[in-house]
Amino acid sequence: MALVLVKFNLNGHPVEVDVEPNEILLNTLRNKLGIKSVKRGCERGECGACTILLDGKPVYSCMLLTVQVNGRSIDTVDGLWNNELFKKLVYNFTIKGAIQCGYCTPGFLITSYALLRTKKVISKEDVLKAIEGNLCRCTGYKKIIEAIMETYECIHS
Amino acid sequence: MIAMSYEDPYELINKWLKAREFIVIGKGITRSDSLEKALGKARFVEDYFEDSKMLFIKQVLSSEGHAIIEEINYDEALKIPGIVGVYTYKDIPGENQVGYALPDQPLLAEGKVRYHGETVALIAAWDYEKAFKAAELIRIRYRSLPILLGPLEAFKRKDILVHDELGSNIAFKTKLRRGDVEKGFSESDVVVENTYRTHHQEHAYLEPEAALAIPDVEGRLTIISCAQYPHLAQKIVARVLGLPSSRVRIVSPYIGGGFGGKDDEGPLVAAKAALVAYLTGKPAFLMYSREESIRIHPKREAAVIKYKSGATADGKLRAIKVTIIHDTGAYANRGPFILWRATVHASGPYYVPNAWVDGYCVYTNKVPQGSFRGFGNPSVQFAAEAQMDELARKLGMDPVEFRLKNLLRPGMETITGQLLEDSVGVADMVAKLSDSMNWKKLRKEIDEWNIKSTRYKRGLGIGVAWHGISTSRGVPDWSNAYIKIDRDGSVTVYTGIVEIGQGSPTTSHRQIVAEVLGVPLELINVVFGTSDAPDGGATHASRGTSIGAIGVLLAAAKIRERLNRLAADLLKAPLEKIVIKEGKVFVQGDEERSMSWKELIEKAYSRGIDLSATGYFFLPKGSFDNERGQGYAYPAYSYVALAIMVEVDTWTGKVKVLKAWPGLAAGKIINPIQVEGQIEGAITQGIGYVLMEEIRFGSKGEILNADLTDYTIPTAMDTPLEITKPVYVEDIFKYGPFGAKGVGEMAFIPLPAAIANAVSHAIGKRITELPLTPERLYKIIKSIR
Amino acid sequence: MFYRLPQFKYYKPQTLDEALKLLNELDEAKVIAGGTDLLIDMRIGRYRPKSIIDINDLSELKYIIDDGNRIRIGALTRLQELIYSEIIKEKLPILYEAVYHMASWQIRNMATIGGNLCNASPAADTAPPLMVLEAKLRVINIEGERTIDIREFFLGPRKTLLKGNELLKEIIVPVHKDYGYSYMKLGRRNSFTLSIVSVASLVKVENNIFSDVRIALNSIAPTPIRAVSVEKYLVGRKVTIDSIKAASKLVIKDISPITDIRATAEYRKDMAIILTYDSLKVALKRLGIEFVKG
Repeated sequence: MALVLVKFNLNGHPVEVDVEPNEILLNTLRNKLGIKSVKRGCERGECGACTILLDGKPVYSCMLLTVQVNGRSIDTVDGLWNNELFKKLVYNFTIKGAIQCGYCTPGFLITSYALLRTKKVISKEDVLKAIEGNLCRCTGYKKIIEAIMETYECIHS
Repeated sequence: MIAMSYEDPYELINKWLKAREFIVIGKGITRSDSLEKALGKARFVEDYFEDSKMLFIKQVLSSEGHAIIEEINYDEALKIPGIVGVYTYKDIPGENQVGYALPDQPLLAEGKVRYHGETVALIAAWDYEKAFKAAELIRIRYRSLPILLGPLEAFKRKDILVHDELGSNIAFKTKLRRGDVEKGFSESDVVVENTYRTHHQEHAYLEPEAALAIPDVEGRLTIISCAQYPHLAQKIVARVLGLPSSRVRIVSPYIGGGFGGKDDEGPLVAAKAALVAYLTGKPAFLMYSREESIRIHPKREAAVIKYKSGATADGKLRAIKVTIIHDTGAYANRGPFILWRATVHASGPYYVPNAWVDGYCVYTNKVPQGSFRGFGNPSVQFAAEAQMDELARKLGMDPVEFRLKNLLRPGMETITGQLLEDSVGVADMVAKLSDSMNWKKLRKEIDEWNIKSTRYKRGLGIGVAWHGISTSRGVPDWSNAYIKIDRDGSVTVYTGIVEIGQGSPTTSHRQIVAEVLGVPLELINVVFGTSDAPDGGATHASRGTSIGAIGVLLAAAKIRERLNRLAADLLKAPLEKIVIKEGKVFVQGDEERSMSWKELIEKAYSRGIDLSATGYFFLPKGSFDNERGQGYAYPAYSYVALAIMVEVDTWTGKVKVLKAWPGLAAGKIINPIQVEGQIEGAITQGIGYVLMEEIRFGSKGEILNADLTDYTIPTAMDTPLEITKPVYVEDIFKYGPFGAKGVGEMAFIPLPAAIANAVSHAIGKRITELPLTPERLYKIIKSIR
Repeated sequence: MFYRLPQFKYYKPQTLDEALKLLNELDEAKVIAGGTDLLIDMRIGRYRPKSIIDINDLSELKYIIDDGNRIRIGALTRLQELIYSEIIKEKLPILYEAVYHMASWQIRNMATIGGNLCNASPAADTAPPLMVLEAKLRVINIEGERTIDIREFFLGPRKTLLKGNELLKEIIVPVHKDYGYSYMKLGRRNSFTLSIVSVASLVKVENNIFSDVRIALNSIAPTPIRAVSVEKYLVGRKVTIDSIKAASKLVIKDISPITDIRATAEYRKDMAIILTYDSLKVALKRLGIEFVKG
């Protein structure tokens, strides 16, 4: 199989990788580009632990072939450390006890970050709907939902 | 010369137990690992794997449910370039024996496979694509044997044996005899008898099992492992490799969820990775795919429980007779211990003067049973609590009122004849919970609502449970930890307790040290989950804080005693007036006479004060007679109650959990936010277990739904609409750090009972079988009509 | 690392013509749009294509155009875009309701309406609404275009009328005015799940008589179906709770569910009746017609 050169924007910086067509983005990010925050939970688009932003929209990185993201932009939590909205989310997740084992956490942060950026008016139903594709086995979701709602109230006052 | 008598563990535990004002204990302080985890910096096992620089291990699993292995041929597989080796039981240098309770379990199948999914071989390759290719070329020739899928059938049969040497399929038995049950029943005015059935459960932790074994410079094998008990993993690896423990080192990074599953499977993953690393001399990485994780690792047991109970007209329990059958799958694993816990807890948290319990752990050709939050208790509490509701109904009593008449109180004996002297807050807690939620009024309102509603029916149910903390009966339990203070005043704690998400090392241990030493939290670093720490027992049985932190408390307390004496000398003050708070050392009532923590430590170094200590505590236990199931069962019990309100759509069988009211009598609550997190997580996990999760087995015992689409765990949209703030009764445990008992498993244990009792109330029929998936409940409702 | 994807040659055509040419020339090729079905199918070994044609750059297939009495949706339109679209929400609310309950946000950001239809799973959630709306599908290959009625499109599980070298281009959906609608889905959990059974219904009422009734279901037959027995019974009948009850019972004549890992055939049959009833009630409620009891 011939290698394909793929160029894309990762966390604000241009990157280039050589990949085989059947390489999935999750593996490229973790094994070739050192992005360990994107987690492997099922590799079937069923758990959400590998969620990233593709042109600002949350998607499962295990369900993307790296060749498909040529010319696109990818964001992971690693690139958001200085972002004000992200910092508020992290603060609330931390203070409210929304993080236990932490394996699902980057995925939830990416999804909720995208939610808070895309929608102006957010109800609790909107939050539940937005995170329905992120599984958590530890927290029972309650404190995660509270952290997201709290962040929303913060930025709206 | 300083006399060391002030370092007696009992005195130290007791001294801190008496504390009334706290700096950090009882506060919801933030975990030390939250920020790392949010930023994606926290490392789990796979994060240490370097693709193509370390060997990738692919497992070959059995495609048969019960068969003799006649031949394993991997010649073709070895021909693929990049394949370093294929390993089977023949390559194990030490002992191919990893059985936990009984020596019945090989690491790699030898001679026979006993369940579909059992590991037969390991392929080591430099990249995973080659490993997969090689797996396709491995030829195993099986001679099929008849398969046993049901425990009741396996119980009877001697012609089909899962373990031939045994002569039967009964892996283990328990017995409990107290008083005279026949007399008890004859004295009873109402008798209820039912058979209850519960099903398996898959842990579905977000992180599948993984281990990375690295042969290191000093000739030790370091394994980055997800095991919940580093010293057990160390022992298993050493045994499989035929090495002394001192040549094996276990290190735990953050672990993505355990719930008991990684307690059982963690050491085996570590052993498989270690085997390859040992034989090849190269770092070797093994991660189970989600499908492999579901197929291979032990599940919550499925149980069949026959339960007979009798009570008098004035509402007092007289006798219980219980038969418990656990489907232990292909290997006993924790089966005997799970069975003992179920046996001892069979009565529920009530005073029962006459009890007869028989327990059986039965082999079948399915994935083994093992540790999962509750450890045999949820299924027996489901049965016991259903019985309580039935008795109450027959007596015309309110379910809570009936329970309050029978709950254990200080001074009473359990069904093992153990006298409970203290830390029995259950009756207080249930009374408080019932009052705060207005139980009686709510039940009445729901009854009235149901009269007016035909399709939708609501129900309010309660489950009250108990759970012995620490290991059962005479099984030794202890705590141990090591603390040292560096010259700059920073504190390092070494503990074998791992961080599986429950937060013991990252919150309660830190809080305890901060409280005892008086240092700011930022100065404390907990090195957790390492076999280099003294063996302090496993992170299971809700003991991470309750027992695991006793050692931490003691080590800190010893150092504190030494520092108190030094400070008293330096500040020219009486010993009992020395206060250390948030890094400031001062005299009570005269804060001007002070020094900083750093200064005190500097002085300690120059004065020759030993600033390191081990805190070792061996839990005093009484004797237990295994033949009659009588004696000292547990040092203490945590008590938990959950009231649940449901709404059942009787036309589809779908159940909505509207509200949950938790109550907990678990001693001192060290960190309320972490405890709430455990309760909320357990409630959702319980909702999954009862209402939507079900492992489906095929005719070979193979798991048909080995993925997260068809094994449906709750999403955010499936959680209850409301969970109230828990009602706490802090019934202090005299050996627990600041009086804490265990919390991790608690809220799960009464959940199946509470939901089933609520549904029973809603539809007017006793639920005796789980799960209550929409289809199953629909069938039950249909049968009523 | 959990799975191995087969090796294949990868093509990313930049124009529709290029794509059609490739589709015509290549042997054992599969088209990838959102990939949310294909990538799983490749992992479990259902498909092992020698070539993959990535059509995601074909922006000419991505649009939602309001032609007044009909809406034209480009096959490459993402499911989430359908939810964001004011046109879909207002003019094809039944499609909006169906897509709202599909999968998860992450999946909907990738999955396309064309993919959902062409993959032809018996549980596809875009199919029942499009079947009651009587959408038409424009398919295209190197020789030309043709129109297929969606009610003829599905042949069996994962089998459609699409020829090997054809691509779904557009879904043409007639706008239905003055209809009550509803999409109901029963799953094993509240979201992010495949349906045990789903029902789409569209009703029109004049003078308290059903003048048009269209019901479609999924997961109860090898393909999504229209419940013609129910429809025939109701058209021309008075709108009463009893007529709806009687009608929904007839749905079992139109379905042939199987027992699989998600549910038994019996449960599906019973639930098809309940959901048809529930769906009709909601559709009528949206027309302002409600019943006092039941």
